Amino acid sequence: MDWHQLWVIISAPDNVPIVGLIPLLCFYIYLAWKQAKGNDDLIAELEADPAMAKTHHRKTWPFKPGWQKEVHVWPFLLRIEFLAAIIITIILMVWSITLNAPLEEPANPNLTMNPSKAPWYFLGLQEMLVYFDPWIAGVVMPTLIIVGLMIIPYVDTNPLGSGYYTWKQRKFAISTFLFGFIVLWISMIIIGTFIRGPGWQWFWPGQTWDHNRQIYEVNRDLPDLFGIASNAGKMIFGALVVGGYFVLGGLGVYSLFRRYMAKDFKRMSLVQFSMTQVFLLIMLALPLKMILRLAWHIKYVWITPWFNV
Amino acid sequence: MPERPIPENDPIVNKSYAMHYLIATLILMVTLLWAMWDEGWGQRPWKSYQGEFKTRYLAFLKTARTKSATSVDEVKKNPEYASLQQNYEGTSAQAKSRLEELRKQVSELSGRILAVQNVFTDRRAYVNALTYELETGSSASAKQSKQKDIDNYKAELATVNYPDGSKKKFNYQQLEEEYNKLRGERVKVNAEVAEALKPLTESKAKLDAYVTDHMVDLTPQQIAGLQRKTEDWDPKIVQLNVAEANIVDRCESCHMGIRESVKLTAAAMEAKGAKKPDEYAKAFTSHPSAELMNAHDPEKFGCTSCHQGNGRATTSVEKAHGNYEHWLWPLFTKQNMEAGCQTCHAADAMLMAGDSGAIITEGKFLYRQRGCMGCHRYEGYDKEPEELQSVNQQLKLADQQKRENVKQSAYLMKQADSAGSNEEANSLNDKAVALRVANSKIDGRVQQLDFQSHNLMQDMKKIGPNLKEVRLKLNRNWIPVWLKKPTDFRPTTKMPNFRLTDGQIQAISAYLWQSGLKDELPKQKAGNAGHGRELFETRGCLACHSMGESSEMQGGTFAANLTRVGEKANYDYLVRWIHNARERTRPYCPYEKKDIGPEDYAKKGKPFVFDLEHSTCPNDGHEMQVQNMTVMPSLRLSLEDAQDIASYLMTMKKQEPTAYADAAFMEDGALQAEGKKWIRHYGCAGCHEISGMEDEGRIGTELTFEGSKPIERLDFALFTDAAQRGGKEPIGNAEDLARLPEGPSKGPWYNHKGFFEHKLAEPELYDKGMVKTETEALRMPNVHLAKEEVRALSTFLQGSQELGLPASYQYRPMDAKRDIQEGWWIVQKYNCQGCHQFTPSQATTLMGMKKYQDPDWKEQLPPKLLTEGARVDPEWMRKFLTNPSLSTADTNRNGVRPYLKVRMPTFTFSDNELRKLVRFFQALSQQPMPYIPQQVPTLTAKETDMARSLFSSNAAPCLKCHATGDAQHDQHATAPNFLLAKERLKPDWAERWIRDPQAISPGTSMPSGLFKQDGDHWVFAGPTPASFEGYDKDQSKLLVDYIFQLSPEEQRRVAGAKGRSHAVNAPPSKPGRSTAPIRAKGPGPGVENSHASGGAAR
Repeated sequence: MDWHQLWVIISAPDNVPIVGLIPLLCFYIYLAWKQAKGNDDLIAELEADPAMAKTHHRKTWPFKPGWQKEVHVWPFLLRIEFLAAIIITIILMVWSITLNAPLEEPANPNLTMNPSKAPWYFLGLQEMLVYFDPWIAGVVMPTLIIVGLMIIPYVDTNPLGSGYYTWKQRKFAISTFLFGFIVLWISMIIIGTFIRGPGWQWFWPGQTWDHNRQIYEVNRDLPDLFGIASNAGKMIFGALVVGGYFVLGGLGVYSLFRRYMAKDFKRMSLVQFSMTQVFLLIMLALPLKMILRLAWHIKYVWITPWFNV
Repeated sequence: MPERPIPENDPIVNKSYAMHYLIATLILMVTLLWAMWDEGWGQRPWKSYQGEFKTRYLAFLKTARTKSATSVDEVKKNPEYASLQQNYEGTSAQAKSRLEELRKQVSELSGRILAVQNVFTDRRAYVNALTYELETGSSASAKQSKQKDIDNYKAELATVNYPDGSKKKFNYQQLEEEYNKLRGERVKVNAEVAEALKPLTESKAKLDAYVTDHMVDLTPQQIAGLQRKTEDWDPKIVQLNVAEANIVDRCESCHMGIRESVKLTAAAMEAKGAKKPDEYAKAFTSHPSAELMNAHDPEKFGCTSCHQGNGRATTSVEKAHGNYEHWLWPLFTKQNMEAGCQTCHAADAMLMAGDSGAIITEGKFLYRQRGCMGCHRYEGYDKEPEELQSVNQQLKLADQQKRENVKQSAYLMKQADSAGSNEEANSLNDKAVALRVANSKIDGRVQQLDFQSHNLMQDMKKIGPNLKEVRLKLNRNWIPVWLKKPTDFRPTTKMPNFRLTDGQIQAISAYLWQSGLKDELPKQKAGNAGHGRELFETRGCLACHSMGESSEMQGGTFAANLTRVGEKANYDYLVRWIHNARERTRPYCPYEKKDIGPEDYAKKGKPFVFDLEHSTCPNDGHEMQVQNMTVMPSLRLSLEDAQDIASYLMTMKKQEPTAYADAAFMEDGALQAEGKKWIRHYGCAGCHEISGMEDEGRIGTELTFEGSKPIERLDFALFTDAAQRGGKEPIGNAEDLARLPEGPSKGPWYNHKGFFEHKLAEPELYDKGMVKTETEALRMPNVHLAKEEVRALSTFLQGSQELGLPASYQYRPMDAKRDIQEGWWIVQKYNCQGCHQFTPSQATTLMGMKKYQDPDWKEQLPPKLLTEGARVDPEWMRKFLTNPSLSTADTNRNGVRPYLKVRMPTFTFSDNELRKLVRFFQALSQQPMPYIPQQVPTLTAKETDMARSLFSSNAAPCLKCHATGDAQHDQHATAPNFLLAKERLKPDWAERWIRDPQAISPGTSMPSGLFKQDGDHWVFAGPTPASFEGYDKDQSKLLVDYIFQLSPEEQRRVAGAKGRSHAVNAPPSKPGRSTAPIRAKGPGPGVENSHASGGAAR
């Protein structure tokens, strides 16, 4: 176990935000979960006791005579926000005093740094380059992410769970968000920061980042595994596999929606549902592709003269 | 939920955040203060340095002031000072009354001026205001009325109250005139004051200058000035800004004492009561070398152009010194400080300024001397082969061009014959003729190129011996033993240890043996080993070679140690080598790429004769290599002497040559191909001449800019982590470990210095733990350097940088300095400094030897060349260097100093090197080039008589020590023959020399005080005959003129008249003994002094 190496990675000024990110993320998930749990319990209670629902107000507290039904933003919200602003200011000031900008040597086009890493917030994109062609990872995927985020309000037909924490009322939305944010974004940043060493090789935490490390890996294309040699064959095979994924996946999503979210599903138009379905499947395809690559060294599934997936 | 108690009051409305706010705000305030502190001091550590410097420097100045005050008192006690003081007091008394009067006038005038000025400026302001209104008036009538106002105002009378109580009225114009008049008067009076003060200030300045001149240190006034300056110092960044070179150096923000006019040491800058100088004290010292600072003005060079480091950084010591990961040019360490010289002085061979320069000069020397350049190209080193290659390329092209022209011209002629018209035939003919003319031009060019390649081939040397001659030269069975580990046989050898496997050794030795020349050498008679030993020890062999091992070793390290040469050498070859090392068995033609033998000459019907005059190839007429590429010169020994020395050397052995195991495999032809492969692989041809490998390139990486190679490109292999983190020292071998200049690493060494030093100490280090095949393994051999040598080479390499400085910062002088620069390369190439002294501080090899400690032998040391350029005629010098015997017939002798046992060898310099050497000597003595010989006036008969009387005076018996050409006398002579003077010496130098030889060559046995100064001319110190009465010219000049006109007959006459009794009677025992009686008796009155003892015979 190379503690020194681990310390070098963790203590790099560049990596401080990511080191801070992990406990913060855990804490806020826990906090949200606690709030959601309280609300869910309250919802259950109020649904069981409609009389109480009429008098109950605000949060998880039950009704109490003399309490105001609503409170003003000023001062009751703003005083807390202002306190937060002071604390954030303190943190930022201490941070800027103690850690200077990590200024490095003048750029030398003949000698690029290794590993050469994107800023931390782009490490997820950089990590995707391992699994996809540059134009897919760098252009198509980011576009789809943005478009996907934009359509959320248009496909969200669930009227509940807005303005308060809840899990029971928005299971699908929350789990999709957590999947997209934590699995697809944060974890890739963490991999990019702590795992990827010289040569963008995979180093487990505690392994020495040795510039001279040599590893043996052969990546194959999925059609090769099935002995398909011709280009046309590869193209057709890949199209079938990808098409199959979307057909089978679509059927799966359809039956899951029907079974577990019948109400929402009924409220959805065909366009809304199909959009949801397509984006969900594309989102799921990303980790699938990563697993194929990391576990079975499969480079491409679908090979065409124009693009490879 | 029910479990939680529900508060009575609404928590959101009722909860108080006062405490939270209080704490948060307090922390915020603390952070704010912290930020302000950080801004003011945390990020500006130099402020505390400056504060500390202020206190310590003031304390230092205080003590220095009291000290200097006492010494000033001493100076003031001097009578000279007293007279100056008196003078000053006298003038001041004289000027006093006049000055007082003038000063009174000035003060009076000033009072009056002030009075007028008060009124005048007030009125002028009013006039100006009115004038403005007039100028900006909207209508003509308004303007008119304003003009009237002005005129009225100007006419008004104003009262001026003078200080003496009187009053006077003026209108505006009168007021102005009065004001200007008073001011003019004051200027005049002030000028008078200055005039009156002049003698006073002058004598005061004299007085002060006297104190300053007679004080070693600063005067109290100067120190007081420094104190004031230091007291008034406000913390600020001190910055050197050289826009031209993009240098911004803020080093002096902390190193404030570096350019102070007092010498500051760490001990002087200690904090009060401190036992050891702390970090501050070390930072506040003065620059250790004033010479370097004078030569490199910081205002032009900054600091970082020599020292490197991050000149702009001010936030911490590490940052400023550049000792962090991302700064590419960290400060050179103290041990390698001289690396900075190399960055601009790469073209110099010799770098000395005061105490600095020894390390980098040593590094440069070692790079060549140890044969580094055999494998690693370095700009400026060993450039002859490259130049030769380009010359040969041009020769080939010229040849081709010629052949084509001939063909073309023949074709054109044929065409002309069959041309239809006359004009056509003529034009074709003209073209053919033009081609033939072109060919003759090419011939001229070819001749030039041949001449160039002749010179280049003469200059081209190899570090190692010629291996084409192994069969003639060596004991066959010895070769594989040598290759196994050369240091086992000869610990001080230049040949490095190559870590060869037995297989490789067998193959390599087999190839060398089989590819060697198989010619027969003439058999030599056995010589007298006893006489050979005497010759070996006295002729100067030991200036380069050494004899005896470890503590027994005597002689120089420039060439091989010969303690065991008898085990390996072949007697016949050794005789030829000693007789003339440059003699080759067969010449090598680089054009055909083969060794030319007698058969080639026979084919053309030519005798098999080749030397520098007969250096063209019988086959193609191009220049050949006719010399061994060794720097070993010819000592012009007779064949018998060479045989004697060789016989002596053959007795130098620890075991019999026959005791070596039989190496029959060396005759095995099957090994040849493999041997060739390994020789090529290890780049043996970089240092040795090997058959079939004459054109091999260098195998190593170029090192010209190695010091600025990105650290990532230096392969620390498996020790990258150890180097970065300062792990365990990877060198295990105790011998190699001892080569690290600073001992085993104590911390991280992931930098150029660490890489170079580890690599030089143990070149195979970066192979350790790696799985590599024979061909993949690192080839760099172990050069078995000593600690200091590793440091010198590491310094040299660290300084080998491609800098961002403009080209004008590179030291590339175009004047005499360039001649000096070029000369040193040659001087070092041939180890001239083994025998001769060029600078007063430099010691020669011979001077350090046991033998020459004896005063008699000291006389036998070769001459010092400190002022050689001023002394000798350059044309004579060129002749002398070409043939130091100065004779074509009798060459087995020294031309100038036949009495010296040590022999000035013949180096067969090329014209190129001769020119550079002559210019070097002239430049070193600041002599102008070209040299135009001075005319020596012809003496009248009377003058000749007078001069002769001086020349033969008993008080200065010149011919007692100076050689005359008479063999019997010259045996005991200790100085050159006067007959040489005319051609050899410069007359003005000769005159300076006879006046005061000690000033020119300290320790010379030439007596001083022969002449003394009488009034404005020089007269002989001894008794002079009556004929000198009334002679008012320099008598020293008379003697020099006489010597320059001396004819052999005249010299014989004088010598005969004087008789040679001294010389003849002297006991002819040890060499140099002949000087003893001269010293015992003393040369005569006025010359009796101690200068005759010791020192070089000069």
